[in-house]
Amino acid sequence: MSDNGSPNGSPASPVVLEMRGVTKTFGPVKANDGISIALRRGEILGLLGENGAGKSTLMKILYGLYRPDSGEILVDGEVAEIHDPKDAVRRGIGMVHQHFTLVPRLTVAENIVLGAEPRKGASLDLEGAARSTEELCDRYGLRVDPRARVSNLSVGEQQRVEILKTLYRDARILVLDEPTAVLTPQETEDLFEVLRELVADGLSIILITHKLGELLGVSDEITIIRDGKVVDTVDASNTDEGALARLMVGRDVLLRVEKKDTKMGEPRLVAEDLTVESNSGTVAVNGVSLTVRAGEILGVAGVDGNGQMELAEALAGTRPAKEGLVYLDGEDVTRLGSEARQGRGLAYVPEDRGNKGLVQDFTLAENNALKTYNEPPISKWGWIYPKVMRRRAAEALRAYDVRPADPDLRAGALSGGNQQKAVLARELSGDPGVIVAAQPTRGVDVGAIEFIHGQLLEQRAEGKAILLISLELEEVRSLADRIVVLYAGEIVGEVGPEATDEELGLLMAGRGAEKSA
Amino acid sequence: MSEGRTNGGAEETESGFRRFLTDSAGALLFPVIAIVIAFVIGAIIVLATGNNPLAAYVALLRGAVGSPSAIGRTLLNATPLIFTGLAVAVAFRAGLFNIGGEGQLYIGAITAAGLGVSLGFLGLFAIVPVLGACIVTGFLWGAIPGFLKARFGAHEVITTIMLNFIAINLATYLALNPLSGGGLVPGTATIEPASRIPVIGLGLGRVGYGLFIALAAAVVVYLLLWRTRLGFRIRAVGLSPGAANYAGMSIGANTILALAIGGSLAGLGGGVEVLGVYGKMSIPFVSNLGFNGIGVALLGRNHPAGVVLGALLFGGLASGAQEMQFATEVPLDLADVLLAVILLFVTATKLVELIVGKRARALASGTRLEKGLGA
Amino acid sequence: MEDFFGSLGPILASTVRNATPLVFAAMGGMFSERSGVVNIALEGLMLISAFAGVAGAFLSGSAWVGLGFAVAAGLLFALIHALMCVTFEADQIISGTAINLLALGGTGFLMVEVFGQGGTSPRVEQFGAVGIPLLSDIPIIGQAFFDQSILVYLMYLLIPVTFFVVFRTPFGLRLRATGEVPEAVDTAGVSVYRMRYYGVALSGMLAALGGAYLSMGLLSAFTENMTGGRGFIALAALIFGRWNPIGAAGAALLFGFAQAITFRAGGQEIIPIEFLQMLPYILTIVVLAGFGGRAIAPAAIGKPYRKE
Repeated sequence: MSDNGSPNGSPASPVVLEMRGVTKTFGPVKANDGISIALRRGEILGLLGENGAGKSTLMKILYGLYRPDSGEILVDGEVAEIHDPKDAVRRGIGMVHQHFTLVPRLTVAENIVLGAEPRKGASLDLEGAARSTEELCDRYGLRVDPRARVSNLSVGEQQRVEILKTLYRDARILVLDEPTAVLTPQETEDLFEVLRELVADGLSIILITHKLGELLGVSDEITIIRDGKVVDTVDASNTDEGALARLMVGRDVLLRVEKKDTKMGEPRLVAEDLTVESNSGTVAVNGVSLTVRAGEILGVAGVDGNGQMELAEALAGTRPAKEGLVYLDGEDVTRLGSEARQGRGLAYVPEDRGNKGLVQDFTLAENNALKTYNEPPISKWGWIYPKVMRRRAAEALRAYDVRPADPDLRAGALSGGNQQKAVLARELSGDPGVIVAAQPTRGVDVGAIEFIHGQLLEQRAEGKAILLISLELEEVRSLADRIVVLYAGEIVGEVGPEATDEELGLLMAGRGAEKSA
Repeated sequence: MSEGRTNGGAEETESGFRRFLTDSAGALLFPVIAIVIAFVIGAIIVLATGNNPLAAYVALLRGAVGSPSAIGRTLLNATPLIFTGLAVAVAFRAGLFNIGGEGQLYIGAITAAGLGVSLGFLGLFAIVPVLGACIVTGFLWGAIPGFLKARFGAHEVITTIMLNFIAINLATYLALNPLSGGGLVPGTATIEPASRIPVIGLGLGRVGYGLFIALAAAVVVYLLLWRTRLGFRIRAVGLSPGAANYAGMSIGANTILALAIGGSLAGLGGGVEVLGVYGKMSIPFVSNLGFNGIGVALLGRNHPAGVVLGALLFGGLASGAQEMQFATEVPLDLADVLLAVILLFVTATKLVELIVGKRARALASGTRLEKGLGA
Repeated sequence: MEDFFGSLGPILASTVRNATPLVFAAMGGMFSERSGVVNIALEGLMLISAFAGVAGAFLSGSAWVGLGFAVAAGLLFALIHALMCVTFEADQIISGTAINLLALGGTGFLMVEVFGQGGTSPRVEQFGAVGIPLLSDIPIIGQAFFDQSILVYLMYLLIPVTFFVVFRTPFGLRLRATGEVPEAVDTAGVSVYRMRYYGVALSGMLAALGGAYLSMGLLSAFTENMTGGRGFIALAALIFGRWNPIGAAGAALLFGFAQAITFRAGGQEIIPIEFLQMLPYILTIVVLAGFGGRAIAPAAIGKPYRKE
């Protein structure tokens, strides 16, 4: 099968896939801007970039889910027209999406053969399906029971089923979109072992990730994408994590925030050994302790999905803590719900303004009253006074520069930045003592970012205690007084805002634990 | 999905007046398209039977609003539909489908029939306690699917359908056995005329003050939804359970309350029918008022004012159909066909999208619940 | 004892007769709901087919032609449901309710147009009882199960066939996957829309057989609203049987039995008829609430599918 002497994608191996000058715009945003990549036979190509850099868009174009505005795709040196996933599959391209498309109530074998079923007369050859699945499993060392129901499988096993689905359809080019985001370190190691088996057998793999540490161990070449453009393609053996981190996040510094020195005061928000479960019942936050003092911004850095959301919700009271305690201004509030904590001066800017922070089909006035609708002067005796509601909203919207500051407008009609300002207007106008802000500038335009940063610093100057959770290193570094890094639900280190990208990158990749311990 | 891009700011320039226009147009778009389609299909059917559609529709209109007695019949038909439409609308605002209006109406009707006879000695003063009891029994009956949903996650569409038949059988049993009047027509005993809801008069035929109770119920529902804490919570839960939970509202409690309030409205509707129109509950009782209430609510985009208009349209079609049958020999069942076709098309988002473009999806928000019935 | 066996035979026979339309409609509902389309229109599909069957038999003089009419009418109304729910993305509950009302109004309208009268149609040729030699001679059971209309025998066949198609064929695998995770079917290169059309169309044709049995097997004429909620009982059987052909058929038999003893109870009632008639609905609520193992609907049921 592998007739070339150097199976691991050396320059001698033929290029099996090339994307040339791919450009794709969504409205005003250029998600892909003339991107070119090349994948050699038997190679693992890492595609590295931050969230929103354009990696997923590029791969959706490759799989026929999006049409590029310009640019072309070559498979085995031939221009390939890929209009839908069927075309991609026909060309030997298989994709494992970040979100699996498996049917939980069907067996592994049934999921794999779905759409290309082996038949025996009129009936489905389930035995045949199980046998071909077993053969594929044996060949690539993918351990999974073909007769098991998918609902009983671990996430790692489910991912293997997704890979098997593509192999069953004779994929020679395999794209994995953030495959390790949902895996434990051990499962990640197992996955990489499988990937090595696959390339040894002549397949070629594109591995999309923003975890630079693990990429070094498994890939041959790494292409770094930033703001929709290819920044560089490097040989994995000739680089290190520091260099990759710089390439990945090292954008021009857009914002330099003026940060005045403040006097740090008493601890206002304290978590002790906090353990929180995710929606699926796994431990998302594991024994986290932290303290936020008056006049301080504590930044929480980390790669998405390492327990940030659960931590924020447990602190705000919308998710119960499994173990540990939460103190607000010295009072144990662990057993109190979100309303009670809010009454004690806690404000919470949730990371998902679309589904949590705002009711999209409510007016801005109603959204502004989402937490105060049952308090005077907006409400008395169960009755609501819309005029008061509107007046208060109008004031808050103007104060927080929401455009347009029209209390009768549907929240959903606002831009992302203005929606977020509307959330801030509600959360901050009650003069809270403690603010938990989860990704307050996600998907927000530059102007709004500047405004939101300014507001947070103003609150800090007023002696508020602020916990800022962000995926943007630049943001955390420029705002926070101290930074803790969350990895796999645990705090793996604490650094000052002067920490370098390398230092933070290492911690975020879970590599700094031994050092700081 | 695009990766974290920001929305354009184009909407920001939209003026308040233009917004008002587009909102009103949006509110009317789905119902108007559905009604137009229904009448076109109706015309084709009439043509196919060898009749003149124009003549049929003129007769229909005359029968609906052509004379005080025609208007009276329309109002009489519309009254119970206002109640059942409101029952659907309140639940819908909480993100719930109440298909149980039919059964809830039966529960209210049997309550009124039973209590109306035993409180007959109170004369006119019996009306308030009897209707109050209908509200209570309807509330409790409506709370059942709410509880089943909040506690066990049983989907309200299926449970309300099943509860319809349980209610109908229960009411039938009560009407034929313990509450039987023993007369020639099977059903309950007849309520003293003195303790029934009086008719308005003015040449409107049998239309009673029940109509005003229905209109008052619409006003109450409006105030409840947009002027009270409870309504605020119900609407927040319906539009965004995530945000409601974030704001500390109980999804379960509001689910139960919304369905129970819906039940009380349909129950009141049943009471008004018995106390205002029939004076007893005969078996079989009027059917499909609950199911037609679904159409009324959707046609009215689940807004109390829209519900009243929808009920008037449905009521008018029903009364006009009689005149149409008389004048043109087109069977009066055509009215039911028209209603069904309206209901068929009133949520057809993709069809409206084909007509007016992508805006349809945003405009559809008052007519659909997309969460599905799966576990 | 003798008295007991004496009445057992007729009760069993009546059970089978009452269960037959329920089984047809429940199997139909299975195909639709397994594909992810809620079908509360079973009632209307049965009603329009019951009418179309009688109309076809009346016009042609042949029960078989009537049956063809019935199936065509069920298919037509099911395709309307599919067009609304799958193509136009209308709400499936609303569309189903509308189909029910359309069938009710439509049959009323057509009664006048075709027969010139409301109420009850003239009598037509019937699918009468055909005894199966030998089998029908078995005491008690023979008469009950093997001296029935040909449509009843078709119903017997339908249960294993449905089971085979749903659980043992590629089509069934795709159908089930479509109702659970349509995205998985789509990425596997199978059209979700087509699968849903197939599912809904099959539900219409099968419900039609149930409707035809009502008007041309059980009776030999159409009366207005003659389904009388049987479509909803079939829906209840489908849910009580947990969307499984064998379970649904068992539930249909149970509900048919409840009806049989309802009619038998007549004079000597122990439990009021109305309470027996509530039984299917109460049982369905009980399983929906999760007593005795939760009934879990196909995961994607009720949601219109929209390609990215």
